[in-house]
Amino acid sequence: MELMKSENIVQDRQPQPQEEEEIMQQEEEEQRFHVLAVDDSVIDRKLLEKLLKASSYQVTCVESGEKALEYLGLLHHSSPASSSSQHHHQGHKVNLIMTDFSMPGTSGYDLLKRIKGSSWKDVPVVVMSSENVPSRISMCLEGGAEEFMLKPLQLSDLHKIQAHLLKSLPHS
Amino acid sequence: MEVGQMQRRLVDYTKSLFMEGFLDAQFLQLQQLQDESNPDFVVEVVSLFFDDSEKLLNDLTMALDQPNVDFKKVDAHVHQLKGSSSSIGAQRVKNACIAFRSFCEEHNIDATLRCLQQVKQEYYLVKNKLETMLRLEQQIVAAGGSIPMIELGFWRTINMKGGKE
Repeated sequence: MELMKSENIVQDRQPQPQEEEEIMQQEEEEQRFHVLAVDDSVIDRKLLEKLLKASSYQVTCVESGEKALEYLGLLHHSSPASSSSQHHHQGHKVNLIMTDFSMPGTSGYDLLKRIKGSSWKDVPVVVMSSENVPSRISMCLEGGAEEFMLKPLQLSDLHKIQAHLLKSLPHS
Repeated sequence: MEVGQMQRRLVDYTKSLFMEGFLDAQFLQLQQLQDESNPDFVVEVVSLFFDDSEKLLNDLTMALDQPNVDFKKVDAHVHQLKGSSSSIGAQRVKNACIAFRSFCEEHNIDATLRCLQQVKQEYYLVKNKLETMLRLEQQIVAAGGSIPMIELGFWRTINMKGGKE
């Protein structure tokens, strides 16, 4: 019996190697930047997700402005109670929002304005569009967008993103 | 056919798609994004494009078949198709969509019907070409070979930015 007891103690002291790896993975994930990507095109969502993941970012893709507002807790015009960091709400950490401009329902511009008028206002927003319309670009930039990018996006465009993400790091 | 032959055939075929303008630099970007963690990325994106496009072409056919054509709706569908074809690098489909949109603006029913035919033609052409190319790749991999890269010099000859820079 004593032998069995000591075996149990040895087991309890050491975490399984698999658990350790999972814990490390979780911590790594929490340290990575998290991007919320909004686009009504399934192809563009897939592409954007891949581009962001290839640059080691964590990504959440949603298919509409409404879904983005829902994710951010802004759907019913209520401001969520702010927690310690300005980038954490409802257990979600969001370091950057990338949104398509032309979407049915809540457009990228509508989403931008809602975000900038909320407790998420300090999160950089990048607006994307397949159309190079100068008035659209200035409207978005004046509306608080950090950057306006032309689609289709390429890996080289992600460098610009990184600069904005680094700017948004919370002050320690 | 042995692997080396298949690889040469694939390279020639792929080059022809770029030379003839079926594909542009954006397709190259897709290929560059594919890696060991996601070895079917290109196939997945291309499949999504096929499904999405066929649905859009059906919607366009119906929309243009109405007694009172809603050009705003037609334009919205074409805009979507232009976006997705641009995102995967299907250049000729994209260009056909650009022409299509200008006729939508004019509310020109005859011209838009012709444009629809043109877009459909370009779509089925590129679909066929992509399926052939992907099938060739599959055969090479199944035979234990690797997908060869196209030499950097080629992109310069067709005046296109490509390859890893």
